[in-house]
Amino acid sequence: MKFAIFSFAHMHAYSYAQALQHIHDAQLTVVADSHEERGEAAARKFGATYYKDYQDALQYGDFDAVIVCSENVHHAEMVVAAAEAHKHILCEKPLATTIADANAMITACEKNDVKLQTAFPIRFSTPLQYVKKQIDSGSLGRILALTGTNRGQNPGGWFNDMQLSGGGAVLDHTVHVIDIMRWYIGSEIAEVYAEVDRRFSDSPVDDCGLLVMEFCNGVIASHDPSWSRPKTFPTWGDVTLRVTGTDGITLVNAFGQHYTQYDDELNMVRQVPWGDNPDLEMINGFIACITNNSSPLASGTDGMRAMEVALAAYESARIRRPVSLPLS
Amino acid sequence: MKGDVINVKVVVIGAGTMGSVHAEAYASMPGVELRGIVDPRLDVAQSLAEKLGSFSYSTLDSLLMAEDPDVVDVCVPTPFHKEYIVRAAKAGKHIISEKPLDRNLSDAEDSIRVCKEHNVRLFVGQVVRFFPEYRSIRQQIVQGKLGQVGTARTFRGGSFPSGSNDWYANSKLSGTIIVDLLIHDIDFLRWCFGDVERVYAKNLVAERNRLDHAYVSLKFQNGVIAHLEGTWSAPSGFSTAIEVAGDKGLITHNSDGSVPIHSAIRQQRSGVAAVEVPSSPMIHNPYFIELEHFIHCIRTGDVADVEPEDALAALKISLAAVRSAQSGEVVTLSQARGEK
Repeated sequence: MKFAIFSFAHMHAYSYAQALQHIHDAQLTVVADSHEERGEAAARKFGATYYKDYQDALQYGDFDAVIVCSENVHHAEMVVAAAEAHKHILCEKPLATTIADANAMITACEKNDVKLQTAFPIRFSTPLQYVKKQIDSGSLGRILALTGTNRGQNPGGWFNDMQLSGGGAVLDHTVHVIDIMRWYIGSEIAEVYAEVDRRFSDSPVDDCGLLVMEFCNGVIASHDPSWSRPKTFPTWGDVTLRVTGTDGITLVNAFGQHYTQYDDELNMVRQVPWGDNPDLEMINGFIACITNNSSPLASGTDGMRAMEVALAAYESARIRRPVSLPLS
Repeated sequence: MKGDVINVKVVVIGAGTMGSVHAEAYASMPGVELRGIVDPRLDVAQSLAEKLGSFSYSTLDSLLMAEDPDVVDVCVPTPFHKEYIVRAAKAGKHIISEKPLDRNLSDAEDSIRVCKEHNVRLFVGQVVRFFPEYRSIRQQIVQGKLGQVGTARTFRGGSFPSGSNDWYANSKLSGTIIVDLLIHDIDFLRWCFGDVERVYAKNLVAERNRLDHAYVSLKFQNGVIAHLEGTWSAPSGFSTAIEVAGDKGLITHNSDGSVPIHSAIRQQRSGVAAVEVPSSPMIHNPYFIELEHFIHCIRTGDVADVEPEDALAALKISLAAVRSAQSGEVVTLSQARGEK
């Protein structure tokens, strides 16, 4: 299967391109990036054809599927155009920055009968999938509460430009874990309360927040999406969940499979992961849903629902009251 | 402590879990005499008293007939705190009370007022202030080592607590997991960050199935966002965790992660798998350190690291969280002032 990557604005594009190199029968053939220097370098590095304009890539490029890694606000136009060109789409999260955009993307993909998968690699994390099975098997009993964290560091650059990102830490780091929570318990979030603030930097966007939520089925939950890890933190951040059930508790750390390296060369302590690569498994899953004509594990709708919770968190912080979902 | 110091005479009311911990601390504390243990379950009081070389009584009155203590330490279930505090205060005794001071503000305020009227000291066992790891973390925050703090998270919990007549299972008696358990973290965070601006909380209690779980969101007047989680739903064990993130650094602590000793002892010929027992021994446990500090304040008249007004303030925040969990609304504790 031949792949394009639309924009290397999001650093995950590099991880996905590297993952493609490890997949037999998959090939990165096209890179489109309006940032010429960045795009040409990536195309050179991964042996792909470079286009400055993604519309040209859609018209002339040779590929079946596209991974969209542009700045958040540009996801919608690229996904809709790719769908109309009958390309299958794996879109970086957050799916979009508005509900209207997300709906337009989902509709365009349905209308053109192409797959739309939201890039939630954590769904493909082996430890998190193990816990999904544990929950489904009933060994934790009925689920009572979910506590999530996805802390990290401010990625810098366009992530701090509201016009390109659509939001800061709360949008960037809420969607992964909300997606996992919805998937784990098969229920939608009914209500969100959030504190959102800028406490760690001079960034014009939010860099911390704490969400307290309730699901339609009565499960209570909280999530911490803050860019609160200092420069000396031994890794980029974390994804953790504590699942509390009537018969047991499970604590899962998506990147718990690591060793510690004390590195005098870099003058730092580092956690080096050794577990399965969720990016690779996510792209394998995307290819499988195209090949088998099945539904993606994390669909466009899943991407929209998770994004909606982040938008509700901003609204809650603004009005200082809990906000009901779905947003009208 | 000098040799000519007169011993402080202490009695402990309640021979349950906390009463035993306190009594054991006093029994080994220099300059302190454990003069008696009161419990209506006289056999329970007796066995603890015998173990510690003290005396047992079934009522506070019978003890006060026989002994003339300086300090009464109240380790009874929360609903009985005020009754014993008032009686001890009227008898002119200094009082050390387990937390929470009470389940509602008016009773808590009554207790504080009566102690003032009778000119006796009142100390509330907000013991987290005496846990060395929490003390050290606060020190770093106060000294600015983390820079401007943005977020703080705490966890506290384990399996459902057992108490006499299962009083924890009645949220009217315990005041809920927020008032009984999370008040520890609420008090500690207030000690670190000052007054709270607003509170939001979720609390699973309605089920009365011994599976309480709570989330509390606090926004402090200094801007710090705090998230507290408490559980009584775990199948076993007890643990706490805290992390404080600032723009110059991050502190994380997990009680499970800082245990120096892990032993697995083979069950002799029982065919049962070995039970792993973690141990974290210290010369003095935090309860000893706390009680020794209170006794010191009684001797010297020094201001304590936790005064009754602090316990009252922590209770106020806890009750605001309970109210928020019940109403589903945000509870604002004071007028916004000086918020950045």
